[in-house]
Amino acid sequence: MADVVLNAVTRTFGAVTALDQVSLTVPDGGFVVLLGPTGAGKTTVLRMVSGLDRPDAGDIHIGGRRVTDLSPAERNVAMVFQQYSLYPHLTVRENLAFPLKSPILRTPPAEIERKVRQVAETLQIAHKLDNRATALSGGEMQRVSIGRALVRNPAVYLMDEPLSSLDAKLRADLRIELKRIQADTGATFLYVTHDQIEAMTMATRVGVLDEGVLVQVGSPREIYENPVSVYAASRLGQPRINLLPADLFAGAPPAARTIGLRPEQIRQGEGEESVVTRVERLGDQTRLHLDFRSHAIVTVTEPHTPLATGDIVRIRPERPFYFDASGARVP
Amino acid sequence: MSKVAMDRLAEATPQRLARGVRGLSDRALAWIFVGPTIVLLLAINIFPLIWTIGLSFTNFRVNRPNEDIRFVGTQNYTRILTDTDIWLSMQATAHFLFWTLFLQIVIGFWLAWLINRKFRGNDLWTTIIVLPMMLSPAVVGNFWTFLYQPQIGLFNYAVGFLTGQDPSSFSMIADVSLAPWSIVIVDTWMWTPFVMLICLAGLRSIPDSIYEAAECDRASPFRQFWTITVPMVLPFLMLAVLFRGIENFKMFDLVVQLTGGGPGSLTEVTSINLKREAFEKWRTGYSSAYAIILFVTVYGLAAIYVKALNRVKQR
Repeated sequence: MADVVLNAVTRTFGAVTALDQVSLTVPDGGFVVLLGPTGAGKTTVLRMVSGLDRPDAGDIHIGGRRVTDLSPAERNVAMVFQQYSLYPHLTVRENLAFPLKSPILRTPPAEIERKVRQVAETLQIAHKLDNRATALSGGEMQRVSIGRALVRNPAVYLMDEPLSSLDAKLRADLRIELKRIQADTGATFLYVTHDQIEAMTMATRVGVLDEGVLVQVGSPREIYENPVSVYAASRLGQPRINLLPADLFAGAPPAARTIGLRPEQIRQGEGEESVVTRVERLGDQTRLHLDFRSHAIVTVTEPHTPLATGDIVRIRPERPFYFDASGARVP
Repeated sequence: MSKVAMDRLAEATPQRLARGVRGLSDRALAWIFVGPTIVLLLAINIFPLIWTIGLSFTNFRVNRPNEDIRFVGTQNYTRILTDTDIWLSMQATAHFLFWTLFLQIVIGFWLAWLINRKFRGNDLWTTIIVLPMMLSPAVVGNFWTFLYQPQIGLFNYAVGFLTGQDPSSFSMIADVSLAPWSIVIVDTWMWTPFVMLICLAGLRSIPDSIYEAAECDRASPFRQFWTITVPMVLPFLMLAVLFRGIENFKMFDLVVQLTGGGPGSLTEVTSINLKREAFEKWRTGYSSAYAIILFVTVYGLAAIYVKALNRVKQR
């Protein structure tokens, strides 16, 4: 395993700048999650590190070695593609064994069989080993695709939304499984997702990408509690952070245009009046949809709240985030 | 609201006809639709086939309509299968089939592989390569007789230029050792583009992401070619072989134009042989049996082949 360093990596496609001076370090044994919506450049970062695409400017190092001009094979990376990219004419077993059959590795057949079976059991696809790759459901294909990366022992695992097409239960299982594998083997992961739960639960560090610019890097907690911008603040947290005009409440700094309120930054029972428009009971928590001076606010309250639609709740911001006109954080 | 065409059609239908059609069951309507096709098929495919089978057991000659038709049992068949001349023409056909298929597959696949690499102007190249296929076989055959001319032929000149041989020292069409190859060359020139197009369709059906996955899995270009490209194009290749094989089994026009079956009967492939028996020697019963034998051969080979093709596709 090895660390990955991106140094001011830039990539343009025609007039579009996909990556703009992205510098990022994935420490050895780290689990870095890139977070951002579609088109933010997450996949492009993975392609840069894998060697499937080359940067226009900037350098990439894996394990201290400059790999910018090397092929994917020379970089020794394992990648899980969002669209699975299984070998359709091969069985699941042959798909999983494919990377091990590389002449570079010279893995003995018994060893290949053992590893394939082990990975298949981890990913709960052992009963499908002799199926053709195309005769699987989307979730099974995705697991084979993950398995094809896990059978190897690469310098770094690159994963492009590997859990996106799985059902909720399997996604939760595999999230824990991947994290366990990473913790057990000390593997280095660079992981792309737009799912904030994956980011929060798996990442040692999160990088927030916005249109090719890495706007913030830090632990999930740091980004959640100390976002640098409106954009970074809206990536994490469920329900999403409430963004309102700053002058709605008293006490905003002069430069502030927007006030950001996560549920825990809204003290209930004090301050000004708002009207409950909807009560969503999710079991472990209850969400309150409020109308505050014709602005919608979503917050969380205790599960067994007696509140109902039309009730009045008093709310007061508590240590809120303020953002200026450009969206940057105002201290 | 304006009326759609269907409504107008319904209104224009005479009352009596409309009532009649309305009374028909779905099944009856279906028969009305497929009926004409079935009748046509029976008349121009099935009936002649059965009639030919019947004729193949007789001594019927179409140029002697007044003679009594005698049932001769399987005599025609035994005569054909023991006739060395026919076996020679079968051999000529097999030789021709094997080499045209081999060359067309190898060259066609190679061309497709080259064209499939993304480079400027590959569409133009595709068009240029495909041109021979667009020509009529009779025209192609005619032109190549000129190209093969020992004195003025471009082909002989080119060979002479490349090997230093005297261009007029050999004749592709008249030399016993070269005549079979003259047909193979022309057929390959003409039909390789067809194989290329099919291979190109196969190559284009492989998504880039599979090669990217293979690259990350550290497969060398050589291994990618043999473990991804070839197996994934194989069903397409086999289809090309099927089409070209059936076509070339009944090859006629090119050969007639180029060598006319000669020198001697060296390049007399079965289709020409059959035509001579049927329409020059007028041995109708005999040639019917011959046609049935050829039909069973092609059909049998194709059936075995299609089974193999399906197995490859299901793999």
